[in-house]
Amino acid sequence: MTPLLKIWSAYVRLTARWPSIASIVPFIPLFAAWWIVTALEIFPRVFLPGPGEVWQSFVSLTWKGILPEYLQDSIVRLAVGAAWGIALGIPLGIVIGMSSRAHAALWPLLLFFQAIGDIAWLPILVIWFGYGLVTMTAVIVYTVIFPVVLNTVLGVRSIPVNMHRAALSLGASRARVLWEVVLPGALPNIVTGLRNGLGYGWRALIAAEIIVGTSGIGFLMFDARRAGSVVEILLGMIILGILWYMVDSWILAPIERATGQRWGLVGR
Amino acid sequence: MKSLTIRNLSKTYFDLYAATHVTAVQDVSLEVGAGEFVSIVGPSGCGKSTILNMIAGFIPLTGGEILVGGKPVNGPGRDRGVVFQSFALFPWRTVLENVAFGPKMRGIGKAERDRIAHEYLALAKLTEAAERYPNELSGGMQQRVGVMRALANEPDVLLMDEPFASVDAQTRMTLQEELTRIWQAKRPTVIFITHDVAEAVFLADRVVALSKGRVLEEIAVDLPRPRSWDALHEDARFKALTSRVLQLVRSA
Amino acid sequence: MRPGRLGGRIWQQRAMRLRQYLSSALLFLLPFAVLLALWAALIPWFNVNPRLFPTLGSVVAAGIESIRDGTLPAHIGASLLRVFVGTVLALAAAIPLGVLMGVSPAVSAFLTPLFRFFSVLAGIAWIPIASLWFGYGFGAITFVIFNAVFFIVTYNTLLGVSTIPLHVRNAAASLGAGRTAMLTEVLLPGALPNIVTGIRTGLGFAWRGLIAAEMIATNVGLGYMLFVARDFYRTEVIVLGMIVIGVLWLLLDRLLLAPLERRTIERWGMVQRA
Repeated sequence: MTPLLKIWSAYVRLTARWPSIASIVPFIPLFAAWWIVTALEIFPRVFLPGPGEVWQSFVSLTWKGILPEYLQDSIVRLAVGAAWGIALGIPLGIVIGMSSRAHAALWPLLLFFQAIGDIAWLPILVIWFGYGLVTMTAVIVYTVIFPVVLNTVLGVRSIPVNMHRAALSLGASRARVLWEVVLPGALPNIVTGLRNGLGYGWRALIAAEIIVGTSGIGFLMFDARRAGSVVEILLGMIILGILWYMVDSWILAPIERATGQRWGLVGR
Repeated sequence: MKSLTIRNLSKTYFDLYAATHVTAVQDVSLEVGAGEFVSIVGPSGCGKSTILNMIAGFIPLTGGEILVGGKPVNGPGRDRGVVFQSFALFPWRTVLENVAFGPKMRGIGKAERDRIAHEYLALAKLTEAAERYPNELSGGMQQRVGVMRALANEPDVLLMDEPFASVDAQTRMTLQEELTRIWQAKRPTVIFITHDVAEAVFLADRVVALSKGRVLEEIAVDLPRPRSWDALHEDARFKALTSRVLQLVRSA
Repeated sequence: MRPGRLGGRIWQQRAMRLRQYLSSALLFLLPFAVLLALWAALIPWFNVNPRLFPTLGSVVAAGIESIRDGTLPAHIGASLLRVFVGTVLALAAAIPLGVLMGVSPAVSAFLTPLFRFFSVLAGIAWIPIASLWFGYGFGAITFVIFNAVFFIVTYNTLLGVSTIPLHVRNAAASLGAGRTAMLTEVLLPGALPNIVTGIRTGLGFAWRGLIAAEMIATNVGLGYMLFVARDFYRTEVIVLGMIVIGVLWLLLDRLLLAPLERRTIERWGMVQRA
């Protein structure tokens, strides 16, 4: 048994017990490569700072309270916008999904307005509401609503009509059919819509903060760009990546799996 | 069609999880004459699929040698055709294109290889399915395509890895009869892996009982051909052979 | 059957299909017609300040004028060129890389988290750093687009190749496929549904990233057109730009990408995702 096999075998057993390790270990060579490239100064330090500088910036911004405040701002905006988007999107999706007339009337408009995209609304939103929280929230709501509505519609429409009939013939009122059949039946798709919506919402938030923001991680990166400092930009990108990766892998994906697969509705 | 010789074949691999060496196949020797039909039977995990994968060249052997027509094998190749339990058809190609794949790899032109493919499809009575895609066919039909795809390439040896295990019982019987019919027409050298003892005896000239990576015994099947299930169901000799093999396999 | 009759049958079928196509297209456009009518009516009625929202007429007029003086085509051309170049470069890099990584299960399992991470960052988040590295203009924006498409397509290609069942690859090998044949006959076709999905998603992010990047890092392009008009409260130009952006993406996605995705997935009977 060569030592290489021993190490590999130990790794396999370790990741079997703690799968999260498998999602972290691949970053080690990347990190090492970053360190080496910047230590060798293959690119000028101004263009590509090293992990050390980024860490220092992280510590200093946290200590000054700027980073936690920006982080909080970004997350709160996303949460508020997403909450509105979901609160508006799911009912709208259900209505459109269940009424073929509403579907015929609204579906083309939905597709078109989704195609315009959130960013393109920024200029006119700024004219209407200025550079504040309302503009940001509006952009996020706009972004989140479409995946939520579209996926909800898909979910509602994919419930076999016989399930509706079964419920009705068992004496359920229309309201109860909605609650007992339509919502659970569409739930896996709704959760997928939430996951997609949050993903797009996150990006929309960053874009809005970059273009018209006054605080937040996106703004941090844009402000740093104006000052010509790559360090904070890298820091911002790393924070974004880690945050979203964590939220998506450890919260959203398991929820999606738990609802969909448990009910055998979504085969992976 | 060529002969197949296996001498002192063994396979040991390293189990990463248990951190130990595991012997899957130990000192297996087998002589298969050209045009002979040999079944290898054994319980799950006895190493029969490992042996087939080594003959096919999909996994390397760790001991012994495998010779086809006297020459050692080296990796997969068209001299050893394979039929898989999961069918392994190319879903993005029509049935005709699947069967014509082997000839295409040999550089045969479109008209000629389509003709070959049609010929083999006709043999399996699959002509109407020629322009369909695999996902439009039932499991039984897909496997027939799989067998024809392997045969159309005229391999020296045909390796079949539990090909009918994923198919329902009735279709299985039909496929087994069809396989013997086609085999008698084309006479390839066949190694047929299965855990179904009756299937092994029905199809083969010789049955090799395998257990825990070792050959227990080889049993010659002297039943007359052509064989059919109606005839053999109550046949005394068939029952005797089947129980002998079953006994071997279960005792080990 | 006489030739005339057979020809007549074919024409009849074609005419019926054309009629179906036209009627569904009409049905699709009807809500827009209603919306336009409402727009034309409500703005004057409520006497809305044109600095807040333009009238239909002013948008049309702005549209005609910007086509005539060439500014609109210039903006559209610049945007589309950047998307095209960025996408072509990204695909040329991503697909081979994805195939190479996907062939080995160990490599693809190891690298997947890395690419998922970078897919998350794709596009917009790279705008600040891109404009510092490449300055203003074509380079920075094309980089953002390249980025958005590259990571997602690589990840999807990797996924597509690595999920081709081992038995299918073995089957091809046992039928005599060499390395080139394995690539063109098995790996690429097998991964194609995933690749097309990746292209569609990547282009979606790229389009968004394009508009955002053009708002801050250049002086020509649709995003720039919108942003600069905001400074002058020229809402009719903004709304014109929004409509153009919407129509362009709708055409690209619905007429090209979605049917392509559907056809590859359906044809191979492989169900990918909800």
